[in-house]
Amino acid sequence: MRFILACLLSLTFLSASDYIGTTTHNNDDFETEFNTNNSENLFDPLSGYNEVMTRVNDNFYEYLLRPTAQGYAYVMPEMARHGVSNFFENLFYPIRLVNNLLQLKFYNSLEETERFVLNSTMGILGFRDVAAEELGIKAHDEDLGQTLGYYGVGNGFHVVLPLFGPSNVRDIAGLAGDMWLNPITYMKGRHDANLLDNSGQAMAATAFYTINKTSLHVKEYDNFKKDAIELYPFLRDVYESRRTKLISE
Amino acid sequence: MNFFARIFLALLFTCNVSFAIPEADIPSFMQSNIDLATTILRDKKMPKPQKTEKLFTIFDSIFDYTLMAQLSLGGKQWASLASPKQTEFTKLFEMKLKTSYMEKLDLYTDEKIVIKNLEKIKDTRIHLTTHLMKNSEVYEIIYKFYKDKNGSWMIYDVDILGVSIIQTYRTQFADILTKDSFDSLLEKLKQPDEPTPK
Repeated sequence: MRFILACLLSLTFLSASDYIGTTTHNNDDFETEFNTNNSENLFDPLSGYNEVMTRVNDNFYEYLLRPTAQGYAYVMPEMARHGVSNFFENLFYPIRLVNNLLQLKFYNSLEETERFVLNSTMGILGFRDVAAEELGIKAHDEDLGQTLGYYGVGNGFHVVLPLFGPSNVRDIAGLAGDMWLNPITYMKGRHDANLLDNSGQAMAATAFYTINKTSLHVKEYDNFKKDAIELYPFLRDVYESRRTKLISE
Repeated sequence: MNFFARIFLALLFTCNVSFAIPEADIPSFMQSNIDLATTILRDKKMPKPQKTEKLFTIFDSIFDYTLMAQLSLGGKQWASLASPKQTEFTKLFEMKLKTSYMEKLDLYTDEKIVIKNLEKIKDTRIHLTTHLMKNSEVYEIIYKFYKDKNGSWMIYDVDILGVSIIQTYRTQFADILTKDSFDSLLEKLKQPDEPTPK
């Protein structure tokens, strides 16, 4: 009798749990998987400003950057634009080298140097990425933000920079540091320029770099943006997760 | 007799549909799915609607949209909803995922996807790492599987370059819900294109 009762009871329990299972999954462990950086415990003191700046940047992209990039793409063949992009990436070698070294990635530093030498010579001033095309040596993108992250510096809160777009406290510090390693910063104009007083030429070069780069990725970016329901939290999340991933690599 | 035969057939059919993927077979199973999807994608003659229809029949068997919808909303919020709302949300969310995917199709050229690694996180979780190769660049995509109550492995999240799809929706939905009602969230899901300027 007792046995039958036990059987019956366990059966009802079974069906009960089955029933619960159909409406909501037992997903406590899922919750912990995602809750770590959920918005409830997300520290975002600048959210108001960030949201406004995201909109400003988005308008800048929609009404100025994209049309310019598209016009530029119309007159410049894609191959040339890839060349320009390679040229600039080659120029940023010091940033990658120093940060690879700082993260003790010696093999990567060596490869970066090989790339720089090969591309600057055989690749004609870096316009062709011979190292990757012919020898399969790929760039190892590292920046100071990643180096700081590598040594355990936390992200800090999220900040949307004018024109630059999503960033955070750590990466802003990184950007400032990387400026010292960026050859564009040291461009000399007609007058003798110093680091803090050559904004004209450097800005023009940076603008050209940005327009060129954008022209190569307009389709992807537009498509990516379509996934957003709310642009600011979307971009913030994508940026922060991406950076965390890059630092872990 | 006829009646029983029918039931038997129906049972057989449902069994086939909810065919459980054993753990060891995930890589080969996924590889064949990926290969199949790639052949469909590369078929230049096939019109787009037919393409997506074929692709979605593959996806529907391995993606747990209901769980994905739930996770994107968060357990607390989900539990507070009446069941018709849950169903409506799940439908809209599935649509959103699919439209987003369909839009990506236009960007497809000749990318290859190769399976790199299968990692068992715990008893009920498996991460399948794949690499998408475009020109000389490599993009990492991780498919996250869980073992459902029928013992078959289903995808509940996809990680692209370190960005979890579910997490991005989760933060967005949480953000919307702190300012707006659930119904306005549904409205926003209904018009998938163009994020509404606030």
